[in-house]
Formats: sequence, structure tokens, C-alpha cells
Amino acid sequence: MKKLDIELTVGIFILAGIFSLGYLSIKLGKMEVWGSKGYEVHAAFSNSGGLKAGSGIVIAGVDVGRVKSIHLQNYQAQVVMNVPWDVKIQEDAIASIKTKGLIGEKYIEITPGGSEKVIGPGGKIRETQPSVDLEELLSKYIFGKI
Amino acid sequence: MMNNRCLALIPFLLVSLTLGMASSWAGEPTQQVKQTTDKILAILSNPSLKGPAHAEERRKVIGQTVDERFDWEEMSRRSLARHWAERTPEEKKEFMGLFRDLLERTYLDKVDDYSGEAVTYEGDTIDGNYASVKVKIVTSKGKEIPVEYRVMKKQTHWLVYDITIEGVSLVNNYRSQFNSILSKSPYPELVKRLKDKASFSEKK
Repeated sequence: MKKLDIELTVGIFILAGIFSLGYLSIKLGKMEVWGSKGYEVHAAFSNSGGLKAGSGIVIAGVDVGRVKSIHLQNYQAQVVMNVPWDVKIQEDAIASIKTKGLIGEKYIEITPGGSEKVIGPGGKIRETQPSVDLEELLSKYIFGKI
Repeated sequence: MMNNRCLALIPFLLVSLTLGMASSWAGEPTQQVKQTTDKILAILSNPSLKGPAHAEERRKVIGQTVDERFDWEEMSRRSLARHWAERTPEEKKEFMGLFRDLLERTYLDKVDDYSGEAVTYEGDTIDGNYASVKVKIVTSKGKEIPVEYRVMKKQTHWLVYDITIEGVSLVNNYRSQFNSILSKSPYPELVKRLKDKASFSEKK
């Protein structure tokens, strides 16, 4: 009887450990298990500048969503974003790829537009601004003046 | 005899083929943007409009040509973004005029520095009523500046509503500037600033 008790406690303890580990990896990996809360919006950029799946989507500096996937289509970066339901993106909103600091990670900033039309699930942000290559700009500045 | 005639037709066929290819490659938006650009270049090289004596007249003619191709209302609407809907029709009209003047002053001054830069057309992509026309401006030193016109179809005209230079959008630039001004101060302050800027550069 006493032996069973110990085995039961150890079993529960280990189960709890496995559960916590699973929870931790889902949270840290920013995975979604119970379906994503939000809708998908697409955008095409001529240069994604190293944006990755999981990169942040920002409106007025506030993190509102994540990049779901990026793939190459027609030599353009097709980005799929996941945006929560309560965030409405106008049809004339502009999505631009920005860098945190000088050499920090990339994120997408959306500047809201003034149109009454709102982009629905699966819609596309038409106005995009590619990542500005700092190195390229610097080299233009340095070597440009001949 | 028959053979000779067939041979004589070949160059003609080739020419019409290349012409046909060129026109199908350059879509309607490109053609219309090119038309306006060519008009402006013609004005700049027009000897009767050259020199500082004709600056005022030249500016007026260029302004008219640009007006035909630019959709100032759409540009103002997109630049003011959320704040556009809060404006009364009179305020919208006033803003459109001020915004047009601001761009005219900023960019027409640069036009006077034109020194034979070549414009090459890199094709366009059409998506329903919207299109983008890619253009490269090649300076006399061989430096290439990529410019993209975002155009919108209104009846038969493709009108410009945004310009992207080196990947930086004009509307986005003004949108964030106007937004940061309007988040700190009321709308009349923005109008005052635009007017101040206008009178300042007139004095200059």
C-alpha cells in the first residue's frame, strides 16, 4: 500500500513535469495549438530584408500580430500575416518592413489608412514598402559622390 | 520575282513585330506615365521657356501637366489617412490645395536642376484598377534611381496616387508626419504649419 502511494506520487509528479515542459515549449516557440486567434492578411514585398516567420507586426509601436509565413513568388516575397480580429486594417494601409535599431531584427509596421473599406480575411495589403537596405544606402552615400 | 517580293516584306514584318511587342510590353499605365514625363521633358528643353526669366511661366506649365496625371484628392486622402474623414468638405478642399503646393514647391525646385537625366521604363504590373509603373532614372554619371509610380484607373486615365523612390513611399512619409503633428495638436495647427511653410519659401 505504501509502495503504491510513492509510485503514484512520482507518476503524478512526472506527468506534471511533462505537461509543464510542453506548455513551456509552446509558449517559448510561440506556437498556436488551439488555432490562431485572428485572420490572415497577405502582402507582397520586393525585398523582405530577412524577415522571418514569427516576426512582429506593429501598429503605432504596439505589437498586434505575427508573420505566419514567407515564400517566394514571382521573385517577390509573399508574406502572410496573422492579425487579431479586433484589429481592422484599411484598404489603403501601408505595410513597411522596418528594423529595430540600426542592425536589429526586422518587423512589419502598418500605418493605418483613411479608407472606409477594410481588408477582410485572406485580403491583401496593396501598398507595401520594402526593407531599406542600410548598407546599400551607406554605400550610395559613400561612393555616390564621384 | 515572287521570291524577291517575299524577301522585301521581311524587314517590314520584323519592324511591325518588334513594334507590336514593345506596345504589348509597355502597358497602358506605362504609356500614360511616359506621355506626361515626355511632356515635362519637352517643356524643360523648350528654348522659349528656358532660363530664370521664364521660371514662373515654366513652373505654371509644368504644374498644369502634372495636375493632369496626379490625383491630388486621392493623395491628400491617403496622406491624412484617419484624419481625412473628420474633415469638412471645405477643409478637405483647402488641404488639397495646400498639399499640392507643398509638393510642387518641394519638387518643382528640383526640376529646375534637370541636367539630361534619362528615364527608362521597366514595365508595369496591373491588378484590377490599380497598377504600379516601374521607372529608372539614370543620371549623367550613370547612377540609377529606381522610382515606382502607383497609379489608379479613373475612367480611361491612370492617375498617380503615390510615388516610391528607392523603396520609400511619399504618401507614407507624409502620413506619419501628419499623424504625429495631429496627435499632438489640433487640425488648424497643421494648416498653419503648411501655410507658414508656403510663405517662408515664397520669401526665399
